[in-house]
Amino acid sequence: MTDLIGPALLVLISLGLALGLRSYGALADTEPGRIPFIGGAAPETHAWQRFHVRYYSMALLFVAFEMEMMFMYPWAAVYVAEGIKALVEMGMFLSILSFGILYGWREGLFRWH
Amino acid sequence: MALSILERFAGRADVPVYLAVGENGLPRAEALSLRAGLRPVASPRAAAILVVAGTPRPEDRHDLARLHDQTGRPRATLWWGALRSFDHGSFVDGEADPLPALRGLWTELVSKQREDEPDLLPDVPPNPWRGIGPNGQGGKGMMGGTPYGRPMAMTDADPRDGLELDAYTAEFGPFLPMFPPGLVLNLTLQGDIIAKAEVARPAMPQPEAAWSGRAMAARVVALLGLSAAAARLRAGGMPALRAAGALGALRGLAPDAEGRDLRERLGRWLEAPDAPVTELPSAPLPALLHGLEWQEAMLTINSFAPPRLTGQATETAAESAA
Repeated sequence: MTDLIGPALLVLISLGLALGLRSYGALADTEPGRIPFIGGAAPETHAWQRFHVRYYSMALLFVAFEMEMMFMYPWAAVYVAEGIKALVEMGMFLSILSFGILYGWREGLFRWH
Repeated sequence: MALSILERFAGRADVPVYLAVGENGLPRAEALSLRAGLRPVASPRAAAILVVAGTPRPEDRHDLARLHDQTGRPRATLWWGALRSFDHGSFVDGEADPLPALRGLWTELVSKQREDEPDLLPDVPPNPWRGIGPNGQGGKGMMGGTPYGRPMAMTDADPRDGLELDAYTAEFGPFLPMFPPGLVLNLTLQGDIIAKAEVARPAMPQPEAAWSGRAMAARVVALLGLSAAAARLRAGGMPALRAAGALGALRGLAPDAEGRDLRERLGRWLEAPDAPVTELPSAPLPALLHGLEWQEAMLTINSFAPPRLTGQATETAAESAA
C-alpha cells in the first residue's frame, strides 16, 4: 500500500497542473482561428491529399542494397573457414548486383525528379 | 503569486510579432525586424501582436481580418502608420518608433490588463459538414465529403513525370512573409511543385528603397536560411557570402531577360547596393514559376523588383483577356 503513495502523488500533481493551466489559460478554439495560414487567403480544398513521393525509387534501391548487406554477416563467419573461395563467391554476387545499379543509373534513377 | 512572477518574466521576453506590410511599409518593417526586444515570426499563429505597417488596399481588408483571427491568443493589433480597417488595436504614427508601444501592449497582454481581441469573422466552418454523411465526413464516398468544411483535392496533371495525383489549389498572399507585400498568386501545387501559377493581385507600391540591391540581396539571402547574413546586409554591412557556400543553390535559377542567373545578379546587386534593381524577368511570372519546387519559386519571386515582375504578368493577363 505504501508503494502506491508515490505514483498516486505524481498523478495528482500532473492532474492539478493540467487542470490549473486549463482554467488559467484556456481560450476558445474558433473556426476562423483554425484556417491554415497561407498569407491571409483561405484554401479552397482540404489539405488531405495524395502527392508524389519523389524519392520513392531511390528509397527502394536503398532498401534492396541494405538487404544485400544482410547476406554478408553469415558470409563473414564462413569466410574464416573457407578463405579465398568465399571471397571470390561474394565478389561474383556483388558484381552481379552492381549491374542492377548500373541499369538503374542508365534509367535515370539517381536523377532528382 | 507564482503566476504574477511568471507574468513579470514573460513581460520581459522578446515580443512575438507578425508584420503585415501594407503600402509603403516594407522598408520600415524590415528595419523594425532588426531591433532588439521583438521577435518577428513567420506565421501569425506564433505571434501575439499583429503589426500592420502601412495601409493595405481595400481588397486586402478581408484577408487582414482573417490574419487577425489567426493570430495566437491573447492577441493585440498595432496599426503602424496605417488606416484602421477594423476597430481593435492601438495606433502609432508611421514616423514614430513603434517599439515602446509594442512592449507596452505585450506587458499588458501577459499581465491580463488588456482584453484579448475577439474574432472578426463568424465562427462557422466554410461548408456545413458536422453530422452529414455515413461517417460524418460531410458527404458520401471517398472523395465526396467536405471534412472540416472543405472539399477534397482532385487529381490534376503533373508537370514533371506525368504521375497524376491530387492538386492543391489556393490563393497565396497578400501577407505571406516570403512574398512581396500585396502579391496574391493563385497556385496549383503537386506536392511542393508548382503546376500552375496566376497573378490574382499585383504587389503593393513601395518606396524605391525597398527594391535597392542591398534590400533585394538581403531577402534572397534570408530565403537561403542565412538569417544572420541577411540581418548584417540590412544593417548596412557586407557579409562574406561566398564563404558561406550556399550561393551554389542560385546557379541557373531565375534568369533575367539577358540570360543572367540569380547568382550572377546577386553579385551585381552587391557591387552597387544602393542602386535600384531594374532587371527584367526572361518570361512572365506564370511561365517563370511553372514546374519549380517551392523554394526555387520563392527565390525566383524575390529576385525581381515586383513592379517589373507583375507589371509584365498583368500585361500578359490583359493580352490573354483581349
